[in-house]
Amino acid sequence: MVLLAIAPLAALAVGGRRRLAGWINFLFCLAAGTLFAGASVMAIRHGATESSWVAFGPGGAQFLLDGFSGVFLALISLIAVAAAFYSIRYLDHYARYSARSYYVSYPIFFLGMVGIVTVDDLSAGFSVAWQLMTLASFLLIRFDREDPRNVRVAWRYLVLMELAWLFILGGASLIPGAAAGDSLHELTSKLASSDATLHSAVYALLLLGFALKAGVFPLGQLWLPDAHSVAPSPVSAVLSGVMIKTGIFGIARTLFWMVPASAEVYDGRVIGLVVAALGTVTLFIGTSQALKQNDAKRLHAYSSIGQMGYIVLSLGSAFYLQYSDNPQLRVLAAVGLVGALFHVVNHGVFKALLFLCTGSVQYVTGSKDLNRLGGLIHLMPLTTVLAAIAAAAVAGIPAFSGFISKWAIVSAGLLAGKDTVVLALFAVVALMTGAMTLAAYVKFFGLAFAASGDEAGRSAAPHSVPREVPLVMLVPKGILAAICLFQGLFPAVLIQGLLLALRGTRSSFPAELPPLAMPVALVLIFAAAFVFARWLRAAGGARERKAPVWLCGYQQFNGSHRYGSDAMYAAFKNFTRWTGGNVK
Amino acid sequence: MSTLTTSLNILAFLGLSPLFEAIIRKVSARVQARQGPPLVQPYLDLLKLLGRENIDSAGTWPFRLAPLIALASILTVVAVLPLAGRESAFTAQADTITLVYLLTLGGVSVLLGAFASRNPYALIGASREMITMILVEPVLAMVLLLGALKAGSLDLMSALYGAIRPGYGIAVVVMLAVYLLGLQAFVARQPFDIAEAEVEILGGPFIEYSGPNFALFKYYLMIKQMFYAYLPVAIFVPLPRSGFYGVDLLVQLALTGLVFILIGLLAATHPRFRIDQAIRYYAVLFVLAVLALGLSLSGF
Repeated sequence: MVLLAIAPLAALAVGGRRRLAGWINFLFCLAAGTLFAGASVMAIRHGATESSWVAFGPGGAQFLLDGFSGVFLALISLIAVAAAFYSIRYLDHYARYSARSYYVSYPIFFLGMVGIVTVDDLSAGFSVAWQLMTLASFLLIRFDREDPRNVRVAWRYLVLMELAWLFILGGASLIPGAAAGDSLHELTSKLASSDATLHSAVYALLLLGFALKAGVFPLGQLWLPDAHSVAPSPVSAVLSGVMIKTGIFGIARTLFWMVPASAEVYDGRVIGLVVAALGTVTLFIGTSQALKQNDAKRLHAYSSIGQMGYIVLSLGSAFYLQYSDNPQLRVLAAVGLVGALFHVVNHGVFKALLFLCTGSVQYVTGSKDLNRLGGLIHLMPLTTVLAAIAAAAVAGIPAFSGFISKWAIVSAGLLAGKDTVVLALFAVVALMTGAMTLAAYVKFFGLAFAASGDEAGRSAAPHSVPREVPLVMLVPKGILAAICLFQGLFPAVLIQGLLLALRGTRSSFPAELPPLAMPVALVLIFAAAFVFARWLRAAGGARERKAPVWLCGYQQFNGSHRYGSDAMYAAFKNFTRWTGGNVK
Repeated sequence: MSTLTTSLNILAFLGLSPLFEAIIRKVSARVQARQGPPLVQPYLDLLKLLGRENIDSAGTWPFRLAPLIALASILTVVAVLPLAGRESAFTAQADTITLVYLLTLGGVSVLLGAFASRNPYALIGASREMITMILVEPVLAMVLLLGALKAGSLDLMSALYGAIRPGYGIAVVVMLAVYLLGLQAFVARQPFDIAEAEVEILGGPFIEYSGPNFALFKYYLMIKQMFYAYLPVAIFVPLPRSGFYGVDLLVQLALTGLVFILIGLLAATHPRFRIDQAIRYYAVLFVLAVLALGLSLSGF
């Protein structure tokens, strides 16, 4: 299984021909991804709880594929395969570079991420996986290396990720008696028998390292927006869609598996609250920075920080609540935890889709600047629909996938307010931030696709006439969009899986959860009301006429007269200047 | 029975919202020492618009879709609303957060239409509308949450009728003040009609809409306005509980009419804020609402 992911390395080293190399890379990723997906379904169903020793030649490492890693493994496989498919044609965009380094790094990157979520130690095996992931992604981020700025960004990424690695390794080595190759379970029991004063240092270092990866404020701002916006779009999709989730994976593992059952209730609650507060700050700051961006990919990147904030908030408050004696609050902890994991999956899918759509825009027009793009609905009708689905999902519009997970996260927080007021306040901030996410994505979709300015888009284009992207690029986007819609309308399927996957956590969760779904009845009412509105519109028998917008005789200057991304929400940007991430 | 109340909900809002619009117009006309249009005028406006020529300036699906989503979303909100303390057939299906997001969906469709209109004025309006939504929607959410969190459940019955259940506390009084201070912003009337600002940016998001499409948006705005005027009546005024559903409902609707007179008076006597001034005002409201919610959760 793991062998299969190593194989492309050899095969691709010889792949000099760009499209052929792309197809080979895709087929290898597909084969490996299918096997991984199968394994993760097995893991979610039956869930190993003991880690097993897998030997590689002289060395080896502890591997653990339980339900929880199964969820991440399946998500990584899905996004990595979709992005590999998309890369085949996308790399045409980078004709001046050899595709070899790209296709050598890509499968290693994939392998590294798989390693992070399956290896069960914090020493040798973990280091190998982390380095594979970091070095390969460094090469991918550096891919467009003509611009010295991109190279600088990539180096900064590399340094910070190595720093995160040192934090995590340092944290693990502080545990008394920890030997290289110990499984998490052994580490936890050693930690439990050690002096309690050491605990905070260990957890602080572990969480610091993983938070750096996950993009928690203020660490995420150091690398994430730059790295995600300079990488080739399919790589950005993988970085934002799944790589930062390995940080979330680490945080969740640390909290829910590595805090020994004997931990003082007080300690556990403090850790939970600190994590939740960090998550709240992250989601607010990240999203308010996203709102300010004019570069579409930076907008997505900042919004990723914000969305990670939701997940971290929910992990922290779930951890806090599970120490409660009140069974109702324990149910809320479960709702929050399931919501967080659901959001991990949702965010992986819709953010990857958004990056791929933005990549298509770049491929066709050569620009990702929201001040210049516009009117793409006429040129790329299919990409427009797919981008609309993804934007609706990230904005949490009812009956789309983001709504379900945010609803679970926010309502768990609010209801817990009766016990701990501050959790309700966190949830109110999250609710308000939902509207800011909406603002950022209304701007992205509205300006690039719906609003006027195709004159501007055309002048920026390297090709003479922008047109829809090739089918090979549309298919992976279509698959992601279909999954996105499915999760919004039938969330129960995934939630069942997540409940199974969470059996391994230290805390005992109630088996029954309140239903987490947009009820079908509401969708039906909406549909009926929609039909009524259509009827009403036609009832007067009004004639229809198409006429261009009257702009006082300046129609032909539409491009230079448009209300661009700079001006959009200007008053609000001024009001939130203190949150940083300002443009110019 | 509950199916009946659902249809009653929709009929009440579809039927009465133009009348309430007329009250605003009448009141502001009286303040300006004018006669004002007859009370049926908004009905006639809608009918006339439905028959007028529908000019499609964008030629794209978001432009045509936006008015439909707007009206459908607000009708969905109305359908789940428990009027006069009685659940409709669908009240149990929705909760407070769903309600807030459905209201947001209406705003989103306005923005979608505005972006698709290819007109700079529409975009200026959209920008202002979105800023208002970011700051005002959470305030509304907190008003609804006051009752919901007291009862420890997010369902709509407790959100609408739970806030004053044990009686007025400090928190409820603060929240009532917040609602009254925010009323004009909720209904987008002067001094907070910044997004539309007829005399300044010519209707903002709606500038390119005409005929039936515009009629749908107008209807959406009227129903939304009635929803926001009905809300304080349900939340802050105790139900008469006369034993007759009809009587309770009539009392509530009459009080809603009073709220509309207040809206009209405020609108006629206050000049419009600039958006940057309004943001600071909204921010104060937000802080006050958080305070009220915190007080309520701490048992005041």
